Amino acid sequence: MKDDAGGNLNRARFQAICQSLRPDLVRFAFWLSRDQALAEDVVQETMLRAWKARDSLKDETAAKPWFLTIVRREYARSFERKRLVTVDVDELIAKEEPMLAASQDQELAELRAALFKLPEEYREPLVLQVLMGYSTAEIAAELNLSSAAVLTRLFRGRKQLRALCGEDTSLDPE
Amino acid sequence: MINCAEYRRAVLADPRDADAELARHRESCAECSAYTERLLRFEGKLARAMRVSPRDAVAPGGAAFGGAGPADAVVIPLRPRRQRVPRRWLAMAASVLLGLGIAGGLWLAAPHTSLAAAVVAHMAGEPQAWARTNLPVPAPELDFVLRNTHMRLRPDAGIVSYAQSCAFRGYRVPHLVVQTGMGPVTVMVLVHESVSKPAPFDEEGYRGVILPVSGHGSLAVLAKDQSGDLASVEKIAAQVRAAIEWTG
Repeated sequence: MKDDAGGNLNRARFQAICQSLRPDLVRFAFWLSRDQALAEDVVQETMLRAWKARDSLKDETAAKPWFLTIVRREYARSFERKRLVTVDVDELIAKEEPMLAASQDQELAELRAALFKLPEEYREPLVLQVLMGYSTAEIAAELNLSSAAVLTRLFRGRKQLRALCGEDTSLDPE
Repeated sequence: MINCAEYRRAVLADPRDADAELARHRESCAECSAYTERLLRFEGKLARAMRVSPRDAVAPGGAAFGGAGPADAVVIPLRPRRQRVPRRWLAMAASVLLGLGIAGGLWLAAPHTSLAAAVVAHMAGEPQAWARTNLPVPAPELDFVLRNTHMRLRPDAGIVSYAQSCAFRGYRVPHLVVQTGMGPVTVMVLVHESVSKPAPFDEEGYRGVILPVSGHGSLAVLAKDQSGDLASVEKIAAQVRAAIEWTG
């Protein structure tokens, strides 16, 4: 990536980009991993890798998807390294309870717990859409899926989530 | 023409889909319109639920590289392979992350949110802007607010009754209120924020849409929810966008 003067991205600009993107990247990694410590670890590793590979970012406006792709890869790497085992969702919720209930809003806490229970194949596209503001095409490109597959996952994910939250789903299509 | 089941399937996949056929169905079907309103309220809650606040006192640079972080900072141990990284690279990365750690305090004090949520949050700070009035902002004042945006608003947009240059996500942006047929409508000119497609939202008592503006970032247009439905806001937003003349 080039800075305004046409040179390589300088440290100050890189820091500014990291600073602006880091909150959403940590949130994304958190919803991906359902583990706050791991999410922070993944994003830290992401920043290091991004700095090292900064020359491959040709367009600063594409920084967000660029970083996000690194987060996903880094999460996959950490998963392989640590050989994480499947754990009970209720245990995960209990472990992250302080963060999930941080808003002291019961409704939000229940919604967060429901998100924890959502299968990853539905949770990830939903987080990309709602939190990261990705379009269907952008999600499809990031997850290497067709747009139709993404729409199906989003439909099923949102439907399951609404049911888990006790929303009126009587008018939802099958 | 799509039916109700097809419409609901589509909006459950993407409640903010601005497809024209979906909009037509929504306008012609009261039940689906009410369904969408409920779904958008759920979306607002979902977006807030996803914006968890990462824990306080995280100092990634200081802690990880042996700096003096806060006492309760999270220490993320370096993996052994990191120690094989050349010293020059380590120093540079430490510097970067130290900066991030310091900036982290500022960030934690004001967490970043989605663009729509940030726009809505900004509204709370200037309630006086929403007054219904026929008094326009003096032209020099409006010109001053728009001076860095390379745009001007044609009179057919409506009376501009409020114009301020506001701090928003690290930039100064024009915050205008235009008096329209459905009452006061807020317009924020976000030349530094790009969106790929129109993004309607219904959050915290505000309905609005963020519109992409080719080459000029985006435009956030919103009204208080009692002013009208989403379709009306979208119509006003399109009119406002059409009334903008870009000069640079």
